[in-house]
Amino acid sequence: MPMYGDQGNKLVQHAKRMQNLTHLPPYQTELVRAVTREVRDLDKDVASLLEPFQGSFDPSADQSTACTLLVNHLSMRRNKRCLLAYHRTRTDKLEELVWSGSDVLDLAGQQAGGANGATAAADGGASSSLSPQEEDYVRQYGDLLAAYKGQWTDIDLTGSLEPPRDLFIDVRVLKDAGEIQTEYGAINLTKNSQFYVRQGDVERLIAQGYLQKLG
Amino acid sequence: MSYYDIDSILTDAEKIPCTFQLDIPDLGYLDNTPTQPLKAGTKVSLPLWLAEMLVIANTGGPDNKTFVTFDLPRALGNDVVQALKADPRAVPLRDQSAHFYGLATHMMDLSEEQELGSVLRKTFVTRAAEISLHARKVGGVGTKGKGKDEGSNLGIGGAGEEFLRGLDEWERKLFRKAHDGAKAGKEWMESIKKN
Repeated sequence: MPMYGDQGNKLVQHAKRMQNLTHLPPYQTELVRAVTREVRDLDKDVASLLEPFQGSFDPSADQSTACTLLVNHLSMRRNKRCLLAYHRTRTDKLEELVWSGSDVLDLAGQQAGGANGATAAADGGASSSLSPQEEDYVRQYGDLLAAYKGQWTDIDLTGSLEPPRDLFIDVRVLKDAGEIQTEYGAINLTKNSQFYVRQGDVERLIAQGYLQKLG
Repeated sequence: MSYYDIDSILTDAEKIPCTFQLDIPDLGYLDNTPTQPLKAGTKVSLPLWLAEMLVIANTGGPDNKTFVTFDLPRALGNDVVQALKADPRAVPLRDQSAHFYGLATHMMDLSEEQELGSVLRKTFVTRAAEISLHARKVGGVGTKGKGKDEGSNLGIGGAGEEFLRGLDEWERKLFRKAHDGAKAGKEWMESIKKN
């Protein structure tokens, strides 16, 4: 028996599954559209139900219509809650990713690309698992975080909470990251090469997946 | 329970048996007959988010009745309650409802059932003790059979497996917390020894 609210429920089940994942699954564009469409249909129903009353509807005089209106209203309210909860679960996850320093926009493209083989990697951005609004959100949230962090130059708010055992570590380069400047001069990070570097200099690159810590 | 709480939203999707108290022409689709009016006395299973308000809302008519009346869902029926009284640990709550306690809490808000609350309280306390017992055991397995059971939180064998499969969502969370806590404690102890 398909019923109002069923689509919304599916959306929430997606959100539930998402809570146990480390990555962000693709945005459910179709489902979101279906649920909003349902709300619009319900709203139209309410409008046409109320039309003959010309704004003077008396619930006690027409109980069955009152009940229908209540059911429609509750269905809309339910759908709204499902939609908001789904998006909130996703934005929570996105904020978490931004804080942990992973390059979300880049990551999204890669995941989509990886699934379709290497050839698709070039146009990976088009099949991102983020909706366009979410990409915007991540970008702006990232800016906000950067501005906030900028107030303290001598402490890295998103740095690791684990005290380092060694000041210097061995790293292997997983993908080309170009040249970086350190206190000890410039290093050119080309794929598959290994370096002995100061941990503080490369922490962000490790978090972003450019480098792998060895040993 | 927050407005955005996923489990609370899923709990609201649990269905309870309702009976409509008046004819409603436009709601036939609730009984799978969209072209027919919904007759008074029709029994329909409605999700909590819908039923809850319909049960409370007054029709506004002279007789002061509500749109629908409801019965306790089978998950909280006499059979289950009797089984819980006999031995709370022997009942796989998950088979009754994945959100058993959430559903029960809602139903107790709506109905005047006196006994249910105390039965459920005893059920939870008894089962919680059992859950924490299992959770601790799993922590031990994780370090002995290293590699094999690591990562899978529910990789448990033997008699406990069936009990743990019957946990409802809330109990599962409790289990996970207890398990993670025991594991983290053990890891911390080991890191202390190392240094």
